[in-house]
Amino acid sequence: MHKIIHYRKQCIGCAVCYEQQPELWRMSKKDGKATLIKGIGKKDVFILNIPHAEVVRCNEIAEACPVRIIKVL
Amino acid sequence: MKREKPIELLAPAGSFDSLQAAINAGADSVYFGVEQLNMRTRSSKSFDIDDIKTISSICKANNMKAYITLNTVMYEYDMQLLKTILKEVKKQGIDAVIAADFAVIEYCNQLGIPLHISTQANVSNIESVEFFSKFADVIVLARELTLKQVEYICNEIKRKEIKGPSGGLVKIELFVHGALCMAVSGKCYLSLHTQNASANRGACIQNCRRPYIVKDAESGEELMIDNEYIMSPKDLCTIDILDQVIASGVDVLKIEGRTKGAEYVQVVTQCYKQAVESINDGTFCPEKAAAWKTEMEKVYNRGFWEGYYLGRKLGEWTPQPGSAATEKKIYIGKGTKYYPKINVGEFIIESGSLKVGDTLMVTGPHCGMVKETIETLWVNGTKDNEAIKGDKVTFPFHTRVTSKDKLYKITAAHHA
Repeated sequence: MHKIIHYRKQCIGCAVCYEQQPELWRMSKKDGKATLIKGIGKKDVFILNIPHAEVVRCNEIAEACPVRIIKVL
Repeated sequence: MKREKPIELLAPAGSFDSLQAAINAGADSVYFGVEQLNMRTRSSKSFDIDDIKTISSICKANNMKAYITLNTVMYEYDMQLLKTILKEVKKQGIDAVIAADFAVIEYCNQLGIPLHISTQANVSNIESVEFFSKFADVIVLARELTLKQVEYICNEIKRKEIKGPSGGLVKIELFVHGALCMAVSGKCYLSLHTQNASANRGACIQNCRRPYIVKDAESGEELMIDNEYIMSPKDLCTIDILDQVIASGVDVLKIEGRTKGAEYVQVVTQCYKQAVESINDGTFCPEKAAAWKTEMEKVYNRGFWEGYYLGRKLGEWTPQPGSAATEKKIYIGKGTKYYPKINVGEFIIESGSLKVGDTLMVTGPHCGMVKETIETLWVNGTKDNEAIKGDKVTFPFHTRVTSKDKLYKITAAHHA
């Protein structure tokens, strides 16, 4: 199983993840940062399991993040 | 030359260490940013919303004004955070918001929060000043103007009696020291283009500061431009023309550097403070300016030029990557204890070594920046001449040491 890890605290709210992959990301109206939809976590680190077929796409998003706070494992 | 109105010296506070350094140096006011809505989101350890209260109380206790920067590009989903920040700003009595986006201007207006127009708004003429005067009492001019243009704007404010919401004449603020950018008023897309990191959201990765190769597309031949970083301007330093800057009629002198260390903030602010005082009492002279410049060369800088203020074109490129500071700081360890009765500080060495005669610098939220030379040294309880990694050291130190303090060794920097 693969997963996405989102280190949310460092998010600068540029919305690139949301623009490119709206099915996984949304922009929080509360604090302007990206939120990993259905991501499970506590404090500032959120994890979501993803199917193998999604890995390439998610890696592209991780690459696009200007502050490199998205990791795909 | 005696001025009717005092000059305000505005220092950057990117951390609590720098805030204390600004206080030590005698700044009249500081500016800071919180969360992701400021132009140094990526590079400086940004403050949180909860820090606004602490910053406000520290500044009030030191009789210093505090301004918060909210000057990035703002998107729809930022509005809630913006409102939350502004409510806290209002509640804690922060003196003003520095803004460029009209959403911020509008919300500040609604909440009755004093406003300063950021340099990001690129104000370059009196008509713009007049327009923004409906909302703001202080306007930061574009860094690309000449002093003649600045003077014209300042004179026109007086002649036309352009007043801000507070009822007083609009004040003009000017950048006097710190990093310059090759883009006009910081509106740069280079970092966004190469790394998807928008400078206008405070995420600039500073690729302009690197060396580049020019490639002949036809032959494939590559040319390296010698000794110059062709997109990296030297830092702005106006200390030797500060009399002219002040004579142009500006009210606030701003120092850039929220990402820089406490020692930078303290040294630079102190030099400008002394320069302003000496202009006030008529003792300002080129020799003094040269001495201040030498002092400021010790801390982070990319080499100095006086910017565009005297009408020069951008052409002063840095000759090396990173800083050209004549001194460098090497991290040694952190503070652990302080014995106030005997004025002795205790530190733990985490890296490198330390010996009697070394010049040390301590930075922290309580002391700002303090420099001292070690005369006697105790290593793990016994008097010794040298300490290495892992050792616990104590030595006489005249400022209170806390566990948040970092210990550095100061050495001369050698540049190739």
